[in-house]
Amino acid sequence: MKNIIVGFAIAATTLAACNSSNNKTIDAKQSDVTHDTSMATNNTVGTQATAAATSTAFPAKEIIAGYLQLKNSLAKDNGKDAATAGNTIVAILEKVNKASLSANQMKTYADLQDDIKEHAEHIGANADKIEHQREHFEMLSKDMADLIKTFGNGGQTLYKDFCPMVGDGKGAIWISEVKEIKNPYLGSKMPDCGTVKETMK
Amino acid sequence: MNRTKKILLVLLFVFIAIQFIQPAHNKSGQLLPTEFAKVYSVPNNVLSILQSACYDCHSNNTRYPWYSNIQPMAWMMARHIKNGKDKLNFSEFGSYSVRRQMSKLKGIANQIKDDEMPLSSYKIMHKNARLSKTDKLLIIDWMQKTADGLASGN
Repeated sequence: MKNIIVGFAIAATTLAACNSSNNKTIDAKQSDVTHDTSMATNNTVGTQATAAATSTAFPAKEIIAGYLQLKNSLAKDNGKDAATAGNTIVAILEKVNKASLSANQMKTYADLQDDIKEHAEHIGANADKIEHQREHFEMLSKDMADLIKTFGNGGQTLYKDFCPMVGDGKGAIWISEVKEIKNPYLGSKMPDCGTVKETMK
Repeated sequence: MNRTKKILLVLLFVFIAIQFIQPAHNKSGQLLPTEFAKVYSVPNNVLSILQSACYDCHSNNTRYPWYSNIQPMAWMMARHIKNGKDKLNFSEFGSYSVRRQMSKLKGIANQIKDDEMPLSSYKIMHKNARLSKTDKLLIIDWMQKTADGLASGN
């Protein structure tokens, strides 16, 4: 009898442990649902307020805005705001109307879409792990640089910054809307590490 | 018969009943052309670490231990394997775009560096998934080098 009780105790603990690790996925799914609804409202607002032209154009400006919000949150060492920005990017990507893209744009976007989405999702799901968010931010920044090359800067001057001290000694880039350096990889540890490499006009 | 005994008896019946519901095994047996080792020339020492420490959840072929036939372990494992394969599947690595492959390679290096992977719950039962410092460095170094190779190839 004792053995059975012990057996159940073990089974119960493993199950509990398993469930707790699974909560994250459920959370992620729930937030997806929320995005879906907010998306739907946005769409209705869009069609009511403006002509169809704005809703079919590629939302480069919105994606860049989401990215900059993320970048600024990381520069302030704020993982929670970074996660929110990550989820915003995922929601915008789900709205993209691929039918409106030219063949060349489609090629770039098909390559970028899944990668950007995956990095943004990971950033969104790891509000309490800012270093993990920064690892994905490094790869996301490269994707953003390529996205801007094809889809433009969304009407604002952007700067491609580089800090040699991060990325395992190889350095890493990020995109900024201000000329002044505010390092999103090091945050308050070393806010001004980096230089402007390129102006993306 | 007191209350506790009754509850235990019910639990025992449930335990026996769920033994008859077994999820399908993740064992395709075939090697796809998109298999990681076919897309990259992976050194044997790197590949054997990946196979023993990662492939159970991140490929189409799991080596099932004896307790995997006991419920609720089988469900727990099936769920872990599904989650694992969604994130990274070495059997289908070649079907990812080059950009994604690069992200995955870097992601693998980062996860191992940060000690996020292999999962600690997995390491309890799998001794050879507890990577030594040398093993970790070997994997991290190879993954980063391969990712950099892809980057310069573009």
